[in-house]
Amino acid sequence: MTRWGMVIDAARCVGCQACTVACKTENQSPLDAWYAPVIEWESGEFPDATLNYLPVLCNHCEDAPCVTACPSGALTRRDDGIVMADEDVCIGSRACMTACPYGALHFFEDRGTVAVEGAPAEAVPSVPERYAHQRHVRGAVSKCTYCAHKIDFGLENGLEVGVHPLATPACVVTCPAECRIFGDLDDPDSNVSQYLAEHSGGEVLRPDAKTLPSTQYVGLP
Amino acid sequence: MTAVSPTAGGGAGPQNVFMDQFNLEARTQRVWDINHAIWFTLMGVGGGVFLVGRILNLTEGLGYLLGIPTVDVVSFLAIAVGGAILVADLGRPLQAWRAFVNVRTSWISWGAWSDLIFLVVAGLLVLPALSLGGSEPFSGLGWDPHGGDGGGLALEIIAGVAAVVVMTYAGAVLARPRAIPYWNSPAVPLQFLLSSAAMSVAVVMLIEVIAGEPVSSGQMVLLGLLAAGLTVTVVGHLLARTDAPGKKESLDRLLRGRYRSMFVWGVFAGGTVAPAILAFVGAGASGARGALALICCVLLVPGGFWLRLLTLRVGIFPPVHIPGVGGPRSVATPAGG
Repeated sequence: MTRWGMVIDAARCVGCQACTVACKTENQSPLDAWYAPVIEWESGEFPDATLNYLPVLCNHCEDAPCVTACPSGALTRRDDGIVMADEDVCIGSRACMTACPYGALHFFEDRGTVAVEGAPAEAVPSVPERYAHQRHVRGAVSKCTYCAHKIDFGLENGLEVGVHPLATPACVVTCPAECRIFGDLDDPDSNVSQYLAEHSGGEVLRPDAKTLPSTQYVGLP
Repeated sequence: MTAVSPTAGGGAGPQNVFMDQFNLEARTQRVWDINHAIWFTLMGVGGGVFLVGRILNLTEGLGYLLGIPTVDVVSFLAIAVGGAILVADLGRPLQAWRAFVNVRTSWISWGAWSDLIFLVVAGLLVLPALSLGGSEPFSGLGWDPHGGDGGGLALEIIAGVAAVVVMTYAGAVLARPRAIPYWNSPAVPLQFLLSSAAMSVAVVMLIEVIAGEPVSSGQMVLLGLLAAGLTVTVVGHLLARTDAPGKKESLDRLLRGRYRSMFVWGVFAGGTVAPAILAFVGAGASGARGALALICCVLLVPGGFWLRLLTLRVGIFPPVHIPGVGGPRSVATPAGG
């Protein structure tokens, strides 16, 4: 069984925010919604001060509290482990936002944003099915999907997921420091599994939440 | 371990465009606020008033509206208004029917079903008593609206069970996920249940006073026990896991920060301790019982609302990562396995 996951080597991150922008461009996320930002913070005292970087995104948890809390069934976990938000089914209760320990879900309020209107995809000529993931519904919640549309496109066209740029999440493709690795966590020979093995396994954010994230880290500051 | 800058993550630094999302600092939830507090309160009172009225057999003799006992009318109105506020607060109110879908795991879905079942079944129960223009068009229905026969009793039990869920589920919605440590405790639904029950007894007593009926000593004892139980639960919740990231910040805000006065005087002293004392005093003072019942109601209902509002407002997410404190993924499906 395939279980897509991402390993982020935080020690490699240079804080360029290219992933942040690539995600924004790829998904046309609503204004104020950042699916994959890099958190920056200072530590230490002069002259030993340091800037730290932590790339974050949806953790696509195996025990996803957002899926559990969602009353409408808009949030689902696919067989391949990707947690999806169906904005057409979402009722905007925002229960998922209170349940997610990572703040990875984003409510699209009507605040005069420039994002695509919430009309059915087929009714918006400029948004063909190929770009349906760029359509966002006002009053609904959206989130990172590991660029599921690219993964599905890759699988349909025989491209290697996590390797071919058209079959790999935008944040992974664009990272100049190659700090993000994407692949099948259930395949011991995959790039992610190999990378985790080389680094004695990964760590996760908020381990106390016990959500079993598919986004794992090495080199956490 | 090095110190984290006060402007880190979601602070005020120029790089922090992700103000309210991923964050290296404890983050206050701003998703649910006063509308949800009103909804939680009205659901608690609505379910509770029906339940108290039926259990204490107080539906008759406290006045009627269109032939339906005032106690039941108050219950239906509270739940209907609470539900309407909830629906209006949704991002997509016209899709509200979808809230019934995920009964497998979502407490909100359980709550939605309970609200619906309660309104339908309790509505059916009182339907034979409905009086319109002097006639009772549904009097031919074959059950006693006061639960005096088999059919009426069955409807009453179903509506009563639904009412208990209505009183509790809001607390369960908050308590289930681990994201916000202050909420993630069985004490939260227990507080909501006890508060709902205490508010409901007080509201029923208020209806009795307005109707000119005497308030019984047993009701005052019941109210005292519920308020005392609520006091113990609130204190227990405050004392548990006080050092947990997120909970510590919640307690700071509640006990030392901007909500201190409202919590200490409005919720704790006014909403739990004082009503408990007054109720026990009232149990032995028949002459002053009506006045004491009135005071208890005036203290308990706002106290219950503030309890819910402050529970929401001190809901704080711990940082997504504490520098130097990573953790293994845990078990389930190991990577590469």
